[in-house]
Amino acid sequence: MSLSNEFSKGFYKENPVFKLALGLCPTLAVSNSVQNAIGMGAAATFVLLCSNVIISMIRKGVPKKIRIPIYIVVIATFVTIVDLVMAGFAPALHKSLGIFVPLIVVNCVILGRAEAYAGKNSVLYSFIDGLGMGIGFTFALAIIAVVRELLGDGKLWGIPMFGSGFEPVLLLILPPGAFLTLGMFLGLFNWLDTKRSAA
Amino acid sequence: MKDILKLGGILLLVTAIAGAALSMVNAITKPRIEEQKRLVTQRALTTALPKANPEAIVPVTENESVSHYIGYQTTEKQNIAGYAFVAKGAGYSSIIETMVGVDTTGTVMGIKIMQQVETPGLGTKIEEVRYGESSSWFQDQFLNRIADGLIVDKDGGDIISVTGATISCRAVANSIKKGMGELEERLGGFKVN
Repeated sequence: MSLSNEFSKGFYKENPVFKLALGLCPTLAVSNSVQNAIGMGAAATFVLLCSNVIISMIRKGVPKKIRIPIYIVVIATFVTIVDLVMAGFAPALHKSLGIFVPLIVVNCVILGRAEAYAGKNSVLYSFIDGLGMGIGFTFALAIIAVVRELLGDGKLWGIPMFGSGFEPVLLLILPPGAFLTLGMFLGLFNWLDTKRSAA
Repeated sequence: MKDILKLGGILLLVTAIAGAALSMVNAITKPRIEEQKRLVTQRALTTALPKANPEAIVPVTENESVSHYIGYQTTEKQNIAGYAFVAKGAGYSSIIETMVGVDTTGTVMGIKIMQQVETPGLGTKIEEVRYGESSSWFQDQFLNRIADGLIVDKDGGDIISVTGATISCRAVANSIKKGMGELEERLGGFKVN
């Protein structure tokens, strides 16, 4: 188990969205603009890092039978702290990210990593795992958002990319577009895998 | 039995620590959050009443809560520049709060959406500022209208709503219209020009 491997697995090999199919609910909800996607990714990565570290620190004292409620308490506490601190000290950031923060509690990537990784591994490895998974999650959200925002709104990061003659495919910005784009990417990643294993 | 007590005890300990941490964070951030809220209201008031002196906007209280604000042109508080109030309407997924400023004849002088938690990318576009512009195109449509003109396109009016977010747009228009009616009643009618 090398540290660099633990970090990089979150991008492709065990990408939370495309490979583990975790955290699909926030993925579908906020991938309609690149700004939203990066914002959600950053907030989720922060909570994931904190929860992974704390859960790894207390893992020996947590009885197996009640580990899930304890994990949820830890995650919910961090989410609330992030929310309060942002509201008080970074109001502009809170205004644009505020709507995503409550969504993080139900982001199963975070509970998933707590259960599958941080509850069994050392603090350093859990930190690296959280960082890699968080960035992998952000990356997945961002590439879905690039497709949806570019084709559905004709913009990237809120900046118009095409002339006024461009007619955006509104469907892609709306919820069905999230399912279509995510499905295409899941298919693409599976196809790349079969090609790789056949070769 | 012993097992249950032990597990329950551990869970209690964890939640107690979490609760203590949260109350500490809350104590630190609460005054800051209230200060931020006050600033948001203050900024919204200056947007809603551009002709009033920012130093001379005073709240009017009714039953211990602010019913509306009066904006004066100068700090001597003689000539009224207009009135402002907070309109609240149920949108798609939140209560949308808008600061609305009207002049003495009941014409909208400025509006500023202060609070909304609508669908990201759809309803949130009621606050969208297009690239290269300095104010929100949706909110700018409300300027210089009287209450009767506050109807969105889907309801037969001419306020263009945000694509895919009719409910949010309708909530803003209808809440402002309703608030203006209430203000007119409170003032005993607007001036006729």
